[in-house]
Amino acid sequence: MHIDWFVFFSQIVNLMILMFLLKKFLYGKIVGAIDAREAKIAAVFAEAEQSRLEAESAATSHARNLRELDERHESLLEKSRQDAESYRERLEEKAREETDFLKTRWIEAVKSERENFLRELRHLAGKQTYAVTRRVLHDLAEVDLEDRIVEILAERVVSMDEGERNRFREPLENGGVVTVTSAFDLTPERRERLNVALRQHIAADIEVVFSQSDDLLSGCELRSDGHKIAWSIKDYLDTLEESFYTALYEKAQER
Amino acid sequence: MEIVAINQISPDQVIFFAWKFVTINATLVYTWLIMGILVVGSVLITRNLSTERTMSRWQNLMEVIVTGIRGEIREMAKDGVDTYFPFIGTIFLFILLSNLLTFLPGYVAPTSSLTTTSALAILVFFAVPIYGISKQGIIEYLKEYIRPNPIFFPFHVMGELSRTLALAVRLFGNLMSHEKVVAILLAVTPLFFPIVMQALGLLIGLIQAYIFAVLAMVYIASATQTHEEGEHPPKTSS
Repeated sequence: MHIDWFVFFSQIVNLMILMFLLKKFLYGKIVGAIDAREAKIAAVFAEAEQSRLEAESAATSHARNLRELDERHESLLEKSRQDAESYRERLEEKAREETDFLKTRWIEAVKSERENFLRELRHLAGKQTYAVTRRVLHDLAEVDLEDRIVEILAERVVSMDEGERNRFREPLENGGVVTVTSAFDLTPERRERLNVALRQHIAADIEVVFSQSDDLLSGCELRSDGHKIAWSIKDYLDTLEESFYTALYEKAQER
Repeated sequence: MEIVAINQISPDQVIFFAWKFVTINATLVYTWLIMGILVVGSVLITRNLSTERTMSRWQNLMEVIVTGIRGEIREMAKDGVDTYFPFIGTIFLFILLSNLLTFLPGYVAPTSSLTTTSALAILVFFAVPIYGISKQGIIEYLKEYIRPNPIFFPFHVMGELSRTLALAVRLFGNLMSHEKVVAILLAVTPLFFPIVMQALGLLIGLIQAYIFAVLAMVYIASATQTHEEGEHPPKTSS
């Protein structure tokens, strides 16, 4: 066994040189690269973790937003429903009011028409009845209808009871006048007949004013400041009108 | 072609140049070859190091080796991995490459020379006290030689010497005997068997490199950690 001491020491030096060179060219760089890569990977993991946390937070926030939106949507929907409901009620109310209004107006129109009709009827019927009565009285009894009316009024004045007579008389004492209104022409005889009756039974110094009016519907009246004595075909016509009204109402009900 | 004749036991005996005490023999030449390969390879590989997730195959290989060695060191020495790493790593890489290249015709491993293995063993022999003293201080380190009793001092010294000798001779014996076995087999059965033996040689070379590096690390670790492990853990004071 031989050991060459020159080679032995050379090998020691060689190995130390090799150690120095490898440390310089290999280990430091490789370890540095590994460390750098590990740091990078750690950074990537940290970034991924950060991203995960951010994503989680974003998801949470998104879910919260979604929930809020849902709640808002629900509340808006509910509000809209209530608004629509109240609007519908308002519209219904309005429609009802309009309908009621129209109905009232229609009823009023019908009423007014009916009244017009009845008034017209009453007017025509009055005229006809008056004409017929007059004719009949004249033909059968040779009695003038107007004379008869005046006569009846005069009889009423005569047959007044005391209380009524006083009530009629009171206004005249303060300078009032008795107004005689008739639907027909009062001839001087007729006027005289009424004047006599009034002066004899009410007051001697009574002032009587005569006038003619179509409104009286074939009649005659004596008026003294609110008190009056009258005869008219009106009472007879009221019955006729009532019959007509009842007939009309029943027809309307049948419809 | 055999550089070392069958009757020659070491590449030291193949002398290319000699002048006075200066001798350039096959051991030195092949050592320089291995140094050259390692240094140039390192320079080439580390020229374009990548810190990204993709890297070159050579860089990957070197990273595997470096990570592996550091892992082994970390298992034995709990701390100071980077302190021991250049020394242990260089020994491992040198022996590994020196052993693996034996499949090349005309190549003789420098580690099959007792001179080289002795130089390696001597480096370990000196590295152990250097690391031990730098870690524990000279007093604590020297105290290890008289533990548990001063009587043990000669045994410690003998142990140091004998394990150094064992390191040198184990590596030399394995590599040298392998080369001789292959040479003899070539003469006896020139077909097939030498190939199997060459393949086996690669395994032996790897194992020997590993054993040498691990033992060196164990010796260093024992010199730097014995004291700490021998003491009871300090009690915590309130």
